[in-house]
Amino acid sequence: MTSFLQILVLGILTGGVYALLASGLTLVFGVMRVINIAHGAFILTGAFLAYTLWRWSGLDPLLLTVVVAAVMFGVGWLVYLVALRPVRTAPITTTVLLTFGVALLLEGLMGVVWGNTSHSIRPSYADESFTLAGLYIPEVQVYGGLLALAVLAALYLIMQRTWLGRAIRASSVNEPGARLVGVSVSSVAAMTFALGVAGAGMGGSIMGMLYPFLPGSHYQWIARLLAIVVLGGLGSLPGAVVGALLIGVAEVMASSYIGPEWTTAVPFLVIFIVLLVRPQGLMGTRLREDVAPA
Amino acid sequence: MTQLRKYRHSRLRLCSAAAAALLLTAACGQGASSGGGDGPIKIGSSLPLTGEFSEAGQATQKGYQTWVALTNQNGGLLGRQVEIIVKDDATNQNTVVTDYNALIAQDKVDLLLGTQSSLLNLPASAIAERNRMLYVEPAGGAPELFERGFTYLFFSQQATTDYQGAVWAKWVASLPADKRPRKVAYPSVDDPFSKSVADGVEKILTAAGIQTAYKEVYPLGTKNLDSIVNAVAASGADAVVHGSVFEDGVTFVRAMERANFKPKLIYQSQAPAFGKQYLDGVGQKATEGMFYSTSWNEVAETPGNAAFVAKYRELFKEEPTEDAADGFAAAEVVAAAVKGVGGIEDQKALADWLHANKVDTILGTLSWDKAGRPTGEYLVGQWQNGKAEIVLPPEVATSKRLVRYGGGDL
Repeated sequence: MTSFLQILVLGILTGGVYALLASGLTLVFGVMRVINIAHGAFILTGAFLAYTLWRWSGLDPLLLTVVVAAVMFGVGWLVYLVALRPVRTAPITTTVLLTFGVALLLEGLMGVVWGNTSHSIRPSYADESFTLAGLYIPEVQVYGGLLALAVLAALYLIMQRTWLGRAIRASSVNEPGARLVGVSVSSVAAMTFALGVAGAGMGGSIMGMLYPFLPGSHYQWIARLLAIVVLGGLGSLPGAVVGALLIGVAEVMASSYIGPEWTTAVPFLVIFIVLLVRPQGLMGTRLREDVAPA
Repeated sequence: MTQLRKYRHSRLRLCSAAAAALLLTAACGQGASSGGGDGPIKIGSSLPLTGEFSEAGQATQKGYQTWVALTNQNGGLLGRQVEIIVKDDATNQNTVVTDYNALIAQDKVDLLLGTQSSLLNLPASAIAERNRMLYVEPAGGAPELFERGFTYLFFSQQATTDYQGAVWAKWVASLPADKRPRKVAYPSVDDPFSKSVADGVEKILTAAGIQTAYKEVYPLGTKNLDSIVNAVAASGADAVVHGSVFEDGVTFVRAMERANFKPKLIYQSQAPAFGKQYLDGVGQKATEGMFYSTSWNEVAETPGNAAFVAKYRELFKEEPTEDAADGFAAAEVVAAAVKGVGGIEDQKALADWLHANKVDTILGTLSWDKAGRPTGEYLVGQWQNGKAEIVLPPEVATSKRLVRYGGGDL
């Protein structure tokens, strides 16, 4: 029983970190209908920024996540203005290709600035664990999970309780209507993309404390994160949390009870089955796309 | 050694790439090298300067460049200056095929040097073989590469991957009964390089009567190793042989720290050979007593090693890595064949010369069997007090102590 609980705890904590990493990806899709293939590269950019700030200042990387998020917000805004705004109404395949290009560009820039070597952010508590009832609970994963909950809760509140949130939702549901009531759709999209990138940066700071990273690592992340948001329902913030927790637990359970070689296959099998039953994902909504926008 | 970690795709994909390589080169004729003359000797290579393997690819390029600089400084090769053309294959099997075809047919290079990793060398070496050009690879030790009957292919490290951990395993098997581990765990990433290292060690230890407590393979790209460490600890193993590449090597050790799991002995493939990156990745405390195999040591008194280290530092203002040293050694092997034959025209003669002779390199003396497999043994390193030491074989050891994992006597 203890062993099962230990495995479950490890799975939930892993899922918590995945949720943090996936939040920006699902937000951007939900509002802009853009599948941001550069999301993994933004996560790594955040990790590298956190690394540099940590080495330079000696401050706790958890505190630095706020600074990283602010810088990445600016980066996201800039990328939106330069790259995405001109193709905002283009078909989804265009933005997929474009964001893939952004990912490659970021990979190259990271290589130039930080080099093609592995980096790790290791504060004193990076490999410490809490002990509770005979279970060990890795500290950084706990902090990552809590941060994920805080970020997602904040995003959820912004979306539901603020004028900005209402503007974002209005823009995503009915763009001409949003314009009619005075919403600057372009500014809302820029804000959304910047928020998504800020979330990626924040997640990157935590990811960098758990795993070594180098510029080329973004390919490994984007596939896993896309799977999570598809499972949860593209565009659904609560869905991202549920999807991330499911994938995290499925990975760990598969590794422990079936065999580590199934770590990748079992979660994708879960996704396959879920999508057969609910093509819109666990918490996604079906959208009508039979009416062309004005 | 470390560069071999990038054998990251399925065998099916490798075979497909090799077949594609052969088809693509079907129209190519004999080696199109420019041959004699007084101009520079042109050497061509394609390396993964971008993409997943770029870290090792760039290091290998620096090794090649260091060899070119030293060779030209010392009067060149056969009295001619040397120049190297390096293309970027972007860690892509199709691109590497295109690159080597272009090097041979368009750039008309006189000699080839190999690329990084078994993954990329598999199709690239097929191009060289089809064009009957000598192909010395600084990486690419997966046994499958040498089961194709090629005659122009040579691997310029000490041994193929299945023998990489042999020296360490034989040492463990030779320990007195009270110091030997009773049960060993063999977690490994699904990578023919890393897995074959672990398999090779298991074979020797099993023959010595040491039980296997855990043996599982996990997919490349697996981020969370906590559950695997949890299972290894629960297996009762008092030694771990981890077939790892770099990132999972670091992640595994950190997961061990979080789980407070301290086996008596631990051996990892590749990751601990990354020097400072590994130290920064896991922290000094977690490196203490970690065993690994390595092809090269910075302070080894092998021929030319001091000159290589000095020139590398001068050129790049940094410390050389094992991948850079392996690149340098590959170029040394090609140069030895050219000097031995006295020309570059007859590539078959160059290959025959290497099959028949030994070559002194900065990695030590290398020799090959008829398939191009090296016939030597790797060095065994151990991290001690934050420093990577060579501990086996004893005659080249930089430290006479061998400690248990975490420190202290065995």
